[in-house]
Amino acid sequence: MKITYETQRLSLRFFMLMLVLFGMQVGYGLLLAAQQVDPTILAGTLNFNVARASHLTLGILWIVCGFIGGTFFAAPLLAKREIAMVPLAKFLFFAIIGLVIWNLSTQFLAMKGIAGWWMGQPWLQNGLEFLEGGRVFGLVLLVGFIILASIVLRTFPPVKQWNEIHWGLGIGITALVFVWIFGLFYVSRLDLQEYFRWYVVHYWVEGVWEVIHISLIGVLIVFMFKASVRAVGFAVFWGISLVWLSGLIGNAHHYFWVGTPEFWQFWGSFFSALEPVPLVFCFWHIYLDAHANKRPLTNAPAFYFILGSTVLELVGAGILGFVMTFALTNAWSHGTWITAGHGHLALFGTFGMLGIGAAYWAIPSMRNTPDFDQRLGKLGFWFLFAGMLGMALSFAFGGMVQAYVMRVLGLEWSSGDVSPAMGVFKMTLPVFGFLFAAGAAIVIYDLATLGAHRSPALTTPAATGWRRPLTGFEAGIWLGFMCIFGLVITFSLLAFNLPSVRVGGDPTLPYLLGGIGYLGLFGVTLGFVVRFTASLGARLRVESPELPTPDLAIDT
Amino acid sequence: MSCTTGDKSCETPRRRGALSVLVLMAAIFLTLSVFSFLDSRGQVTPDQISYKDYSADDGKRIFQAYNCMGCHTIVGNGAYLGPDLTKEYNHTGPAWLEAFLPSAGSFPTAAAVRTHLISPEQLKLSGVTSFEEYLEKYPGAAERLDRRAGKVSHMPNLQFREGEVAKLIAFLKYTAAMNNEGWPPAIQAGSLETRVAKVHGTSLVAAANASVSASPEPVSASGGATAEQGEKLVTDYGCVACHATDTTQKVGPGWGDLFGSSVPLADGTTVKADQAYLAESIRNPDAQVVKGYPAGVMPPYKDLIKQEELDAMVAYLVSLSKAGK
Repeated sequence: MKITYETQRLSLRFFMLMLVLFGMQVGYGLLLAAQQVDPTILAGTLNFNVARASHLTLGILWIVCGFIGGTFFAAPLLAKREIAMVPLAKFLFFAIIGLVIWNLSTQFLAMKGIAGWWMGQPWLQNGLEFLEGGRVFGLVLLVGFIILASIVLRTFPPVKQWNEIHWGLGIGITALVFVWIFGLFYVSRLDLQEYFRWYVVHYWVEGVWEVIHISLIGVLIVFMFKASVRAVGFAVFWGISLVWLSGLIGNAHHYFWVGTPEFWQFWGSFFSALEPVPLVFCFWHIYLDAHANKRPLTNAPAFYFILGSTVLELVGAGILGFVMTFALTNAWSHGTWITAGHGHLALFGTFGMLGIGAAYWAIPSMRNTPDFDQRLGKLGFWFLFAGMLGMALSFAFGGMVQAYVMRVLGLEWSSGDVSPAMGVFKMTLPVFGFLFAAGAAIVIYDLATLGAHRSPALTTPAATGWRRPLTGFEAGIWLGFMCIFGLVITFSLLAFNLPSVRVGGDPTLPYLLGGIGYLGLFGVTLGFVVRFTASLGARLRVESPELPTPDLAIDT
Repeated sequence: MSCTTGDKSCETPRRRGALSVLVLMAAIFLTLSVFSFLDSRGQVTPDQISYKDYSADDGKRIFQAYNCMGCHTIVGNGAYLGPDLTKEYNHTGPAWLEAFLPSAGSFPTAAAVRTHLISPEQLKLSGVTSFEEYLEKYPGAAERLDRRAGKVSHMPNLQFREGEVAKLIAFLKYTAAMNNEGWPPAIQAGSLETRVAKVHGTSLVAAANASVSASPEPVSASGGATAEQGEKLVTDYGCVACHATDTTQKVGPGWGDLFGSSVPLADGTTVKADQAYLAESIRNPDAQVVKGYPAGVMPPYKDLIKQEELDAMVAYLVSLSKAGK
């Protein structure tokens, strides 16, 4: 575990910036959870909408920092040469800091109703969900993306020598630029605005981030398990192809109720129901790659986070996305906390955990401390993982109540009807939020000081019972239960259409199915990750020469 | 699968195959997109809708400037804290929104909504001829006046500038006119009482109804106009939604120590706040606008309240200052 190229060290500053922004986002998240309970907290000073805008933008920016860190760490190995245009890469770092400060300040203007309208565009802040930054922010970020894409493409070898990993990362980083452009125009028609807003949000997540995610996971799998670049490249190719083939028309699930025609309900329901397919594929591949050779984990925190990323991608993005992707279920989940549960688990799980996992792999190499103490990293992972599952559960249950009170009973008085009904789950949200925040603090501290503490002598527990090797059959059973509980959740949302619920006003059946489905799904998810990591932890530590990392730039 | 790993000759056809399917999908998607926004679909556009002097597009810009989506949802997208605003205009009508938005920190009373409906222009905009007809046409307004009037809302008071409230209403009028393919789903779960009972239990509903019927009609002050009557009137009319009883500024100026002070006006002159000034500020607020406050936010009360009520309110305002005591 040593770095090969000096410019791989460029990734360190982006990982550190990622941790700072992550910590800030968690802080805003805790404030938002508190304001959900009592909206008068900081009212007039830092209103809910300002805090939420900052929470979302910070989330996007720290995930991008994680991508940049991972890409800069991998790019020299993929290119077999140093990173090109180093001064621009350094500039990019300061540009992101400037953007963060600018954006956090300008969001406060929303409390005064100042958007900075000039030439028909809002230059200071935009007031649209996920695209809260004004045009100044948007254009500077566009320049940042262009710089990033230029650095990566100039570093890579000529296109003729690209293998699947080059293609994945190259396309992903370049597409960041093009998709962002759709968010840089003021659109007067609400239906057309929402149409283009989802170009950015959906195609970023489903078309671009997912592609970068699959490619970087591929790279990390090669690092960790010395897996064959050809086999990983094959997985990357099919992963990306399936993501795009299902996700391109799958965007239609955002066009059910925004003023676009009814035919989108067919296309959206059908194609986005296929969106979990590539995620099942990736899930299965990480099982295969982790079991290709039976060597013990050299860097457990890094693998934990990569595993968490792949599992939560399937559960948070795939299954929780699937349950509300049908027009008949979406009519009830749309505009409620149910979607927030999906969003939190999918975004942090898939992309956040990837960034942290990449940092855990890269930082010990750069500091040349392969024998760093891994205990804090593992502890931080469990806090983050359990905290986020708990938050998603609070969102999901709160969302079921919200859907019932607001959509079935038609009572939308937030302080009189909706908030009191959701009360319990508005309280459990910050409780799990604190668990998550504790995990964030542990991980940030651990990564910042990584290498200061040496690992104690490790004993390998016996590989029996809960720790026995995980077979493909058993992994398949876990996966099967996840899918079954996902179906139960789908039926719970479908049950809102029954006359007994809609007309009779009796929520028992959706609540019951939702309770079984969500608790079952999250329980199986937690159990599977515990089982998977326990079985890897019991692999025998035999002294054997370290395998060289395979040649990433190999022409397949 | 013959083309699994390592066979170079398989790579190119596989990439091409995936790409061609992708192009086909993109073609389907773009075709559907074009059909979504053709004029023949008949979807309403912002240039077709206006309210007072403002277009729906003016309102959309204000909607974005205040980041309304950061708490509310619109067509279901947004922040899930406040209610969905898509059909709000159809539900509560423009007069309720006019009464609510300037002082969003609390819900308007019936008197506050009635004040707006005195103007023939507002009656015409609302498409009704009387307050009673308004409540029938906009059941959401009736429900809110019944259950929420005078209560604190979760929304902060925003210091809207002149015209911004009307612009926002223009935007909400547009979204309410949109065809959203039936979303949000129509409410089929029975009467309001039944539905409220599902959330709060029947006992609470009964208690609330009892307290509503027990509360007397707004006092029409017979006999001498006293400050105590005035204090009750400013609550009934919802004045305290915008005005603090001390010197702090809410939506309008605070009342504390107002009587007897010198008030700077928007036209640069200064006026002494005597009884006549206070009475005129209630009857016809736009005649003498205080410096730093936009005109047109407070509706004129001249046709709504009786002389005795006015006297009682002025007596109450006088009692809030040292000079008056």
